[in-house]
Amino acid sequence: MSKMRSNRRIFAGLAVAIVMLAGCAQPRADDPNVRGIGYVRLEEVLKKHPLYPQLSQIDDSIDALGLRSLGAGSVPHTGKQIATQTKELNAELKAAQDRANVILRQKQLDYAQREQAAISAALAAAGAGTNGAQSAQAMQNISAAQAQQVTAQANSDFGQYQQSVIAQSNAALQSIGAQLGARADRAFGQRATQLQERESQLSLELSQQDANKRLQLRMKLNGLALPDATRKQYRDELAALDRNEANVVAAQRARDQQTLATYRAQLNTQVRNEMASQSAKIHADTQAKLQTRRNEVSQQVSSQLQGLRPAAVPSNLPAATRDRIAEIDRTFKAKFQADAQKTIAQYQATKAELDARYAELQGADASATGAAHTQLGQLQRERDDLYNKMVEQIRRDAGTVAAKRGLQVVLVNIEAAPGGIDLTGDVERDIESLHE
Amino acid sequence: MKSTSTLVLAAAAFAALLVAPAAIAADLTDVGYLDQAAVGALPQFQRANAQVAQYKSQLDPQFAAAMKRAHNDADRQRISGEFQQKFLDKQRQVLGPLFARAQTAIAQVASNQRLSVVVDKRIVVFGGQNITKSVVDLVNGPGPVVPPASTPPPAVIGFVDQSQIDQLPKIKAANDNFLKFANDARQSALQKMQAAKNNQQQQQQIFQQYQKSLTDEQNRTLKPLVDQTRSAMATVANQKHLILVIDRADIIYGGADITADVQNALK
Repeated sequence: MSKMRSNRRIFAGLAVAIVMLAGCAQPRADDPNVRGIGYVRLEEVLKKHPLYPQLSQIDDSIDALGLRSLGAGSVPHTGKQIATQTKELNAELKAAQDRANVILRQKQLDYAQREQAAISAALAAAGAGTNGAQSAQAMQNISAAQAQQVTAQANSDFGQYQQSVIAQSNAALQSIGAQLGARADRAFGQRATQLQERESQLSLELSQQDANKRLQLRMKLNGLALPDATRKQYRDELAALDRNEANVVAAQRARDQQTLATYRAQLNTQVRNEMASQSAKIHADTQAKLQTRRNEVSQQVSSQLQGLRPAAVPSNLPAATRDRIAEIDRTFKAKFQADAQKTIAQYQATKAELDARYAELQGADASATGAAHTQLGQLQRERDDLYNKMVEQIRRDAGTVAAKRGLQVVLVNIEAAPGGIDLTGDVERDIESLHE
Repeated sequence: MKSTSTLVLAAAAFAALLVAPAAIAADLTDVGYLDQAAVGALPQFQRANAQVAQYKSQLDPQFAAAMKRAHNDADRQRISGEFQQKFLDKQRQVLGPLFARAQTAIAQVASNQRLSVVVDKRIVVFGGQNITKSVVDLVNGPGPVVPPASTPPPAVIGFVDQSQIDQLPKIKAANDNFLKFANDARQSALQKMQAAKNNQQQQQQIFQQYQKSLTDEQNRTLKPLVDQTRSAMATVANQKHLILVIDRADIIYGGADITADVQNALK
């Protein structure tokens, strides 16, 4: 009896063990739904790899650099762009200098006029009215011929300047038009080449992909005892393969042509818009130049006319009046200096900002020789190197796991897996253990 | 006592069968793989590629000259099409026979080694039969390569042509919409980044928002379609008793093409 009980206990224990083992058993390698095949979802395992944060960081840097380098006016890529921007900065600096000079001249004139008025008032108060009246008379006595001559000369100079500026603007517009057109043609050519290469690749891929079917059909056609109807059917299938390939490539080409037509229209619109924008800018610059010159000429004329004015202050004035006039002169000079200082400070601020942009441009100068692309290329190489190392490690781990599970082949890049053994979890655990 | 020992041994053997499948899965694989780069690096392929490149370099100036003479966009399109066709014809003429020879060699090796499918080396992480050397030897050998007498046995690995699946109207529309969204998002991010050109922290934030917007849109519009496609592939594969489905680009020889079935299932 006791032996019977002992046997029952052993049976019970074994039964439990077997049920437990069977319960936790994974699919077997020789299962009809496995047939020695396993797979790994590589992208998921990669995310568990200890080096994944680094890979992700490099990817982000590549994306960010790519995004920045795509931005118009951000990182220049060519020496020509640098030259253009330097030229623009030079022009801005020159404009700032000119603007400051015009303002200073205007202020100088204003203060001189106000000083003159103050001195005249002081002279009148000091009883030198006769002299003031004589001065005024002398002003009126300026020869009309002299004034006309000065004005005519100034107008003639201005006319010549105007013509030359407008001619320059027209030449610049023509040159920009040619540049924009050439740039659009280059962009179109690049896109066309890209699409042609894609068509060529497609054609190659198609013929490679169909090579298998084609070969099978040719093998069948080699059969000697082939009925005529069957032979014809195989030949038709072969011809259909050729036709299909040609149709797919032709359809792709038609789509590409459509893409190119749309792209050309888009480029034309871009050229038109850019041309309009450049034209407006050049027009504004021209007007600004002419206005500046007009001011300069006007000041020159005014200055020359003033130069014709007789001395306003008589030499035989009392000491008190002389002191008063000297005081007026000092006061106005001081006021002018203070006011002029503001203009100079504004100019300095503009110059500082332009200097910073020059410096930025110098920094970007390196990228003009391809630094942005070099950096991208270097990052891409680093990324590939790291990715390959990680994948290699995953491959080794997957190999070890697969050997333990008795599999014959393990694949990645799986689209769907109704069967086979998924090793992703096992490999993930192995890879994660690298953290520890 | 004896019967107890026998029972214990039998149970242990049964348990061992459950936990150690390695011993019984031998010689099951009929999956081969090929290193296509090694075949592409063969001198005859290199020469052919150089020949095609030389032809293209001759064609380029002619193309440029013809384009200069073009009067309008229609002319340009026509010229572009003509030259592209010339190039494709040459490519086919030069590389076609080499591909055919390589494919026949692959078929013969696969037949000799009783493989049902040959895949690209890149997707094999363990096992499989490497047929690269046999194929290279055959391609390099003298005389014509004789095609095998039989077609490959039914495969347990299927494949889909993802590019054809992508052409289904609803998938194409989703892809196009996503591309447009991505383009708009990029333009907007660029403008914001230019406005914040002196503030790196702000630029970083803009970039992160840009990335997040892409991921969100991808999850919202494309992921459901990807899941639906995967599910359709699994269903079709199940019906056809396939174990795995891979992309057509990774298949070199054999395998079951289920593209049309998946397309139908998705319609």
